[in-house]
Amino acid sequence: MSTGKSKKKLLNAYHVVFLAQSVMIGTGILSLPQQLSSLGYSQALMPLIFGVIASVTLYPMIWINSKFPNDNLFRINEILLGKWLGKCINLFFVIQFLVFIAGIISNYMHLIQSTALQEQTITGPVFCFLLLLIYIVSGGIKSIARFCIMTFFLTIGFLYFTHWAFEKGDMSHFLPLFNFFSVNDFYEALKRGYLSVLGYELVMFYFPYIVDQKKAFRHSLIGIWISILLCFITTAISVMYYSEWQLEYVEFSVLNLFKAGEFSFIERIDIFGITLWVFLILSTVAAYLWCAKKGVETLVSKKSNVYLYILVAIIFFVVKMPSSREFQDKLFTSANYVGYMLILWPVLLMMVYVLRKKKQVQV
Amino acid sequence: MSRKLLYVTLCIQLFVLAACTEKEIKVPLEDVGMVGIIAFDYIDKDSMKLTVAIPQYSPEAQRSTQTFSVTTELVSNGIVEIEKLSDKKIVFNQLRVVLFNEEFARQGNIRKVLQHLYRNAEVGNKVLIAIVKEKGEEMLKYNYPDKPNINFYLNDLLQPSINTAFNPNTNIHDFMYTISNPVFDPTIPFIDKNSDKIEIKGIAVFKGNQMIELITPNEALIIQAIQGKKNLAPLDINMEQGHGKEKLLIDLVENDVHIESNKNMHSPKLTIALTIKGTLSEYKGARENDLFTIESLADLEKDVNKELEQDIKKFLDKLNEWQVDPSGLSEYFRMYHRGKWTTEKKREIISKVAIDVQVKTSIISTGTLK
Repeated sequence: MSTGKSKKKLLNAYHVVFLAQSVMIGTGILSLPQQLSSLGYSQALMPLIFGVIASVTLYPMIWINSKFPNDNLFRINEILLGKWLGKCINLFFVIQFLVFIAGIISNYMHLIQSTALQEQTITGPVFCFLLLLIYIVSGGIKSIARFCIMTFFLTIGFLYFTHWAFEKGDMSHFLPLFNFFSVNDFYEALKRGYLSVLGYELVMFYFPYIVDQKKAFRHSLIGIWISILLCFITTAISVMYYSEWQLEYVEFSVLNLFKAGEFSFIERIDIFGITLWVFLILSTVAAYLWCAKKGVETLVSKKSNVYLYILVAIIFFVVKMPSSREFQDKLFTSANYVGYMLILWPVLLMMVYVLRKKKQVQV
Repeated sequence: MSRKLLYVTLCIQLFVLAACTEKEIKVPLEDVGMVGIIAFDYIDKDSMKLTVAIPQYSPEAQRSTQTFSVTTELVSNGIVEIEKLSDKKIVFNQLRVVLFNEEFARQGNIRKVLQHLYRNAEVGNKVLIAIVKEKGEEMLKYNYPDKPNINFYLNDLLQPSINTAFNPNTNIHDFMYTISNPVFDPTIPFIDKNSDKIEIKGIAVFKGNQMIELITPNEALIIQAIQGKKNLAPLDINMEQGHGKEKLLIDLVENDVHIESNKNMHSPKLTIALTIKGTLSEYKGARENDLFTIESLADLEKDVNKELEQDIKKFLDKLNEWQVDPSGLSEYFRMYHRGKWTTEKKREIISKVAIDVQVKTSIISTGTLK
C-alpha cells in the first residue's frame, strides 16, 4: 500500500518487547496500591488478573493489525469505517491522547512539587520536560524504542530498594486469599487500577514498523508480563509493609516503600526515586505523543514535524491550564476511562471487518 | 531559512520572558535551621507546648544546641511561631526524634500530631518516637555536661542496639502502621532524665491512641520475642524452681518463635512455641558448683523453660486483662477470618483467648572455663 516498505520496518524483537513494557510503567504504578485499596489486603493478586485481561485484549489488536500489515490503527479506522467517520474517531483518539499525556505529566509534576521542589512553581520543569520530549519523539519510533530499553535498565535497579520493606513486612497479610465482599469493590479496583497497565494498546500504531510481525503477539506479551510482574511485586510488598488504612491513604505508596531503608551515606532514597522516575514518564509519554502525531498526520494526510510542536504546545497549555484543579482532575480521569475504550476498540473493528468480508464474498 | 528565523525568535522571546519571572529566593545552607528533635508537652485539651532543638554550628555560641519553645494549638502554626524567634529558616529534613511527654501520651492526640509529620514530605519515615516522663522541654534544655549535643545523644540512645533489644525502636511509620492496623496496639519507648543521663525506663503500651501502661524492659523483651525479632537482648532470669533463689543471665545466640491459632473466633486458643539457644554467661545460686555435667545443665534448662513459660503467661494474661495486643497476636485469627477485621474484634479475641506457652531452651555453652 505504501512505498518504501523495507525502509519502514524498523523495530526488531527487543524493541517490541520493551516498547510494550516501558509504555505500561508510568505514573500509574506509583499509586497502584492506593488505586486498588478498595480490596484491602486482597489486592496483592490483582495485577495478575490484569495481566490475564491484558493478554486477552492484546489478541484482537494484533489480529486486526495483521489484516492490514502496513497500516496503523488510524488508517484502519478510515479504511473500515469510511473516511469521515474514521476521521472523526481519529480526531477523538488524538484528543484523548493529548489529554492523557497532559494528565500523566501533570500528575508527575504534582508529585515533584509536593516532594522534591516544594518552593517552586512547576512551569520551568514542565518546559524542560517537554523540550526533552520533543527531542525523543522527533527521532521516530525507533528512538523511542531505544529510549524504552535504556529506561528499563536504568530503573530496574529500584527493585533493590524495596528489600527493606520486604524484610519488615508481614507475609501473613496475604491471608485470607480473595477476602473481599462485594463485586462493587472488585469493579472499583478494576476501574481505577487497570489504568496502571494501559499502554500496550499502542502496538496497534507501531505495528506496521515491526520487522517480524508474525511474532509481534509473543513479543508484546513478554513485555506485558514483565510489567505485570513488576506491578505484582509492588502490590505484594505494599500489602506486606502497610496496614489497610495506609494502603488507602498514603498517596504515592511506592515512594514510601523506598523510605523504609537507608544507607549510611544516603538517607532519602525516595527523592532519588522520584527524580529518576522521569525516565519512566518520558518513555510512556513519548510513545503516546508519537501516536498522536501520527494521528494528526493521517487526519491532514501530510507529514511534517510542525505538528509535533503544535501538539506539545497544546499539552503545555492543558497542563498549565488556568482552570481549577478539580476540573483538571475530572478531565484527566475521564481521559483515562476513554483510554479503556481504546482497549476494546479492536473488537468492534474485528466485527466490522468480518461483516465487510462477508458482504464482499456475497457480491 | 524559516527554521532559523523560528529559532531566533524563540531565543529572543525566551530572553525577554525571563525578565517576567520573579527571582527565586533560595535559602543558603548556613541560614537553614535543621530541627533534630521536636518535643510536645501537654498543656490542656487544645494547646500544647512545642519545643525544637537545632544543632548550633556557630563556634561563637556558648551552647551546642539552640532550643525554642512556643505554646500552640496546631503543629504547623507552632513552627511559624518558632520562625519568628529564630534567626534561621526552620526545616524538618534532618528531624531524628519526636518526643511526647507522658501526659500528652495519656490524654492528648498523638496520632494527629504524628499523622501531620507523616504527611510532610520533608520528614523521613525513620524518625524515632519516644515518651518522656516529665517534660520534653526540660530534657532538651538541660545541659548534659559530658554529652556533645542532645541531638546526637538522644538519637543514638534510641537506635537499635543489642542490649536494648527490648526497645521496639518505634519510628513514624511503625506508629502509623500499628495504630492504623486493627490487629496491633502501638508501643513506644519510655525515657526519663536521671540526673545527667537519659535512661530508657521501659515501654509505653497504648490502647488505641492513649497510653495506658508502662511495662518493664523484661516484659517488653517478651513482645519482641513473640514478634519474631532476631538478636534479642541477653535474658536476665530470676527464678525459684526448687533450688532456692537463683539468678542467671543467658546471652542469646538464636531464637525462634512459632505461633499457631485454632482459627476459632468463639473459643480462641493460641499456642506459642519459643525456641531459645544461648550461652549461660553468669549464674548465681545454689547449683553454682554442679553445673559442669550435661545432666545438670539439662536440669537447669528445664527449670528455665518452666520459669519463662510462667513469666510469659503471666505477662500475656496481664495484657489480655487490659485488652491490648502490642505483639499482634490477633493477626493469627485475622489470617483465617473472612470479612473485615475491626479493632472491636481484636479486643474481643484478646480478652478471651487462651494462651499456651511452650519454651524450649538449650544452653549450648558455658564458656571455655570448666
